[in-house]
Amino acid sequence: MNPARVFVTGLGVVSSIGLGRKAFFEALEVGKSGVSKVESFDTSRIGRDYGGEVKAFHARDHLTAAEARRMGRCSAMALAAARMAVEDARIRPSHLGGPRTSVVVGTTMGEADVLGDIDRTWIARGLSAVRRAHLPKYGSTLLPIHLARAFGTEGTVIALPAACAAGNYAIGYGADLIRQGRADVVLAGATEILQELQFSGFARLAAMANQRCQPFDLNRQGLIVGEGAAVLVLESEAHAVMRGATVFAEVGGYGLSCDGYHITRPHPEAVGSIGAMRQAIERSGITSADVDFVNAHGTGTKANDAAESKVMHDVFGERRVPISSMKSLIGHCMGAASAIEAVGCVFTLETGIYPPTVGYETPDPECDLDVVANVARKGKADIVLNNSLAFGGYNAVACFARPGVLPPPPATEAL
Amino acid sequence: MLPRAVTGYGLTSTLGIGREAFVESLRSPRRLEPEEGRKLTTIDLTKYPNARAFEVPNFEPQRYLGDKGLRTLDRLTKLAVVAARLALADAGLKKDNKFVALSEERVGIVCSNAYGSLEAITELNRVAKLEDPRYINPAVFPNTVANSASGYVSIWEGLRALNVAVSDGNCGALDAVACADIHLSQNRADAMLVGGAEAMHEALFLAFSLLGTLDHPDHVRLVGRLSLSEGAAFLVMEREKIARARGAKIIAEIIGYGTSFESPEDGSTLIGPSGDALGRAILNALSDAKVDPADVDVVASSLSGLHRADDAERVALDRVFGESVPIAAPKLALGETLGASGAFAMASALAWIEGAPPSVMVSGKAPDSVGTVLVTSLGFYGNASAVVLRAKDPL
Repeated sequence: MNPARVFVTGLGVVSSIGLGRKAFFEALEVGKSGVSKVESFDTSRIGRDYGGEVKAFHARDHLTAAEARRMGRCSAMALAAARMAVEDARIRPSHLGGPRTSVVVGTTMGEADVLGDIDRTWIARGLSAVRRAHLPKYGSTLLPIHLARAFGTEGTVIALPAACAAGNYAIGYGADLIRQGRADVVLAGATEILQELQFSGFARLAAMANQRCQPFDLNRQGLIVGEGAAVLVLESEAHAVMRGATVFAEVGGYGLSCDGYHITRPHPEAVGSIGAMRQAIERSGITSADVDFVNAHGTGTKANDAAESKVMHDVFGERRVPISSMKSLIGHCMGAASAIEAVGCVFTLETGIYPPTVGYETPDPECDLDVVANVARKGKADIVLNNSLAFGGYNAVACFARPGVLPPPPATEAL
Repeated sequence: MLPRAVTGYGLTSTLGIGREAFVESLRSPRRLEPEEGRKLTTIDLTKYPNARAFEVPNFEPQRYLGDKGLRTLDRLTKLAVVAARLALADAGLKKDNKFVALSEERVGIVCSNAYGSLEAITELNRVAKLEDPRYINPAVFPNTVANSASGYVSIWEGLRALNVAVSDGNCGALDAVACADIHLSQNRADAMLVGGAEAMHEALFLAFSLLGTLDHPDHVRLVGRLSLSEGAAFLVMEREKIARARGAKIIAEIIGYGTSFESPEDGSTLIGPSGDALGRAILNALSDAKVDPADVDVVASSLSGLHRADDAERVALDRVFGESVPIAAPKLALGETLGASGAFAMASALAWIEGAPPSVMVSGKAPDSVGTVLVTSLGFYGNASAVVLRAKDPL
């Protein structure tokens, strides 16, 4: 028996260019930028001050008072995104709660800012000033647990910290749980907040641009750090049909690989990244000729964009597949990036619009690609790939397709 | 899940480093207690003289990893890499740190960790706050991400198939089994390192201490007092066919997994260990393994000395087994190792299956021989998981 098809039936997103599907889709179409001066912490000593901060997000707008008290901002964003996704899916609580629903959430640093607050209090005012109630809020473990509590789910709860590939890891694993028959519904997504330590770290690694992220441009200066969260409602075909759900997209296969090379530098031959893209294509039962559009990892650093261009040439050969990087709009949302960008992929499948890479001015011969420059473009959008090629050699590439386009998922090991 | 072969394991633990030292120490089991005159490298005992915090003793990573490249690695990573290296050698996949069976493209890792590198995060927060954010060490910064330990293991051990970090508190290392099983069945790898790591740090000790978990008078009531601890353990889990084809010695099989979650009733708190969730997780694991509760020889429980959690776990075990099953509590000897704890319990189960006496017994008599072990992990937040291991079928 072939495994179940996995559908996307709900989208929730917290981003610097809009909260919720509608605002986010509109912003993608016009290429709105969410990059602005960081206000949530003092940047004066860091040497950089622009980020994709989600200024319109206030936990109290989305959470109960008790929820807001027991979680940090990273969890709050994930829960808000999950609420939006559940609403978008029009799924009844009786179809959502219980043992057949799982929650998978990816992140890079999770609630590290909770620890930052504790550390800063401890350093400045001593141990006695640390609030006990604050302590248990730290830990990536809690990210899916807050969601499970809010929706009464009883299946797998798991956090997958996978650096900047975490969104694709979570969506891929969520789809696996359904294909393996361990779940009917999965809330899968990722979350990340802008925080002082991470921001300082990227500034220190000299990987951060001043004001603009310009992926694939000759004069690109580096990445802009962003934040946000996205959660997708994933559902088995049978469950979606049973409750008459609207299907927005199908989750195809995904590719995972590990450079096992260096903690921050990509592999010089990009073998891991090429492998991850090829796997995503093969595991979706298609060929590279079937891919209509690629959402780039496209961080805007010299090394990443050049390496990703190599990967594109290797995978697609002479064919110039349109590619664009949402990081030019919202910055690099780290662990949340590929989850937010997965929502963008569904936008492309639904509308046939490729979102633009803004700030693209001077082509780079090292990045000889068909970049969707500055304005959105209409095009064929049956099958798209979502790249994330992260630090630590964590590569994850996911495939999304319009419902009805992909062949049945390939059989796994016989049970 | 399909039965998976376990072909080796390696660990860095309070009971010793490596399988041999670990199994040897199980022959004369002792509860973990602070000894007179002990020294810790991570915690200043002059500040906290009776700290119920424990370390892997005499941990010298350079003995296993050489001197080069260790400077920027944190303790968490070193504990994990050494355990992984020992596991790969034990399974016969590597010799002198080179693959001699399978290949680096076909071996991956799923590594559980609950709290990340408190060492790296706290150090950099300290530098940023007390000195200047521009002075934070860029070589330490990558250690602050929650998956850094598993990332470093893949780099040091050359594991290129896939690399998955999981966080599910104390249940993570059992969840790693489910995750690895899924990836094996999708043919993403032929063998997976499965386990977890957690490192002692002053911030970890202080947090548990401030929350009253280490000195609560009720804690002795059931099994003893909680001892916060550290270490890393990895099992090598393979598709059976491939393990047999390469002539590997199969120590035991992992044959079932179950998990569940139950929201704490009190909306104002985060903490709520749930006997209901654990009961369901156990039943799910037994049903996945097609094992009757009566066929379980001993439970490798997660009883730790934390009374609220222990109460909940007893309720779950009573509900499934009545009084009929012998219960061991490996955490009383190894300490509470959080994200690594499930891996230590599975390592204990493997040792018992190979003839070491189950310990520390907290209920019933240790069976003379062990064929089937249920491993339980109860989380602090309503999460719970269970795994079933069984002695290998005779060929």
